[in-house]
Amino acid sequence: MNGAQDLSAFSMFMCGLLLLIPLLVVWHFKLGLTKNLLVSTVRMAVQLVLIGFFLEYIFKYNNWIINLLWFLVMIVSAVFSVVKNSDLKLNHFIFPVLSSFIIANFFVVLYFNYFIVNLSFILDAKYMIAIGGMVLGNSLRSNVVGLGDFYKALRKDEQFYFYKLSLGATKYEALLHFAKMSFVAALNPTIATMATMGIVSLPGMMTGQILGGSVPLVAIKYQIAIMIAILASTVLSIGLSILFTVRYSFHKNGILKKTIFAK
Amino acid sequence: MFSLQHVNKQFSEKFVLRDFSFQIAAGDKVNISGRSGIGKTTLFRLLLGFEKPDSGCISFENEPLTDVLAWNVRRRVAYVSQDLNIGRGKVQAFFDDTLSLKVNLPHKHNSQPEIKQFLNQFELPESILDKNTEELSGGEKQRIAIINALLLKRCIFFLDEVTSALDKSLKTKVIDYFLLNPDFTVLYISHDNYFPAGIELKTLKLG
Repeated sequence: MNGAQDLSAFSMFMCGLLLLIPLLVVWHFKLGLTKNLLVSTVRMAVQLVLIGFFLEYIFKYNNWIINLLWFLVMIVSAVFSVVKNSDLKLNHFIFPVLSSFIIANFFVVLYFNYFIVNLSFILDAKYMIAIGGMVLGNSLRSNVVGLGDFYKALRKDEQFYFYKLSLGATKYEALLHFAKMSFVAALNPTIATMATMGIVSLPGMMTGQILGGSVPLVAIKYQIAIMIAILASTVLSIGLSILFTVRYSFHKNGILKKTIFAK
Repeated sequence: MFSLQHVNKQFSEKFVLRDFSFQIAAGDKVNISGRSGIGKTTLFRLLLGFEKPDSGCISFENEPLTDVLAWNVRRRVAYVSQDLNIGRGKVQAFFDDTLSLKVNLPHKHNSQPEIKQFLNQFELPESILDKNTEELSGGEKQRIAIINALLLKRCIFFLDEVTSALDKSLKTKVIDYFLLNPDFTVLYISHDNYFPAGIELKTLKLG
């Protein structure tokens, strides 16, 4: 396979020069982002370099236990990020959301590897970590919207929730309206991306595969499969996250605990 | 039916109810009055278990109103709130949603003629069923919420300013409908002084 051309030190330096454009804009308009921008760039570079070395070993050994453990580490950090960015209390949400993510992402990734790619070793590092990362990254983004909005809407629209309860609704019946709204909010961006895919954007995975030497048609088939896998994991993880968290988020009389919010 | 004994409830520094006691018997018609902001709605929320008293005892049918019993009360009381937050979508779908709740399913069968009869009674055209709830005026929303409560076929009503946007003749009609039915137990908040002649009206003045 003729992989993508390596980037020399000079190339990386030229890339650094490109960073001057955002830096100049941020500095000139006093957007107050200079520090954040620099810190994030450095963090990204350091993290990726470390991960680069790490992944080389993971791919080299391709041991199922290490692969599994690494995927778990990815899931755990995704879950921390979801809960923190949804303005929800970490200690309250970490375990239910973690369970939801483990079930949803393992199911989708293993299904993908076994039924779609037909791997004989379904815990193969390359597939598990690359496909898993894409599925997980999207679950993360949509759960921040889906789970965060679910509880925010519930707090804001508590009167409507009470009204449903007063009509005799069970807790789950009364929450259905809010769950539907959060599915819509979480799925809309993915659905919109799918509709313009190929025309407006060549997705990252396809770009990577083409640069890596795959024929565009193969890359396209993978892209279609991954988008559908992302939809499946989004729906599964949001559904399960809501289902698992509502068990702990309400008082016995059906009232939302106000202590679940971080802010 | 409901009994409040020495109930205290305060929000931050302000007392809504202070050493408050009151009995409500089946068939009672109770007008809750008091200047606005005094916490009349809080009383409904306490009785429905959406708020808890700071101290004192609330009971329903001689049982203390526990978390578990609150669910029961919510299946027995038809509550029409002042917010009129009746969601989005078609009016017909709003009624269908209410009647599709597990506890209300027995009333779903044959509800359509009843809906039409209520629409007629409260002077709404049948075509309103195809309208979106956002298109309704305040008075229309109030009547839709009232009909929704009546479809539940419950006998206890908590009505929170449900006639404020209605004209005089409709106000009379709605108030008569609830207060003249001997089977109904009605607690209502209203700023109107009207009530039909010949009924025994209890008044509960807060503040």
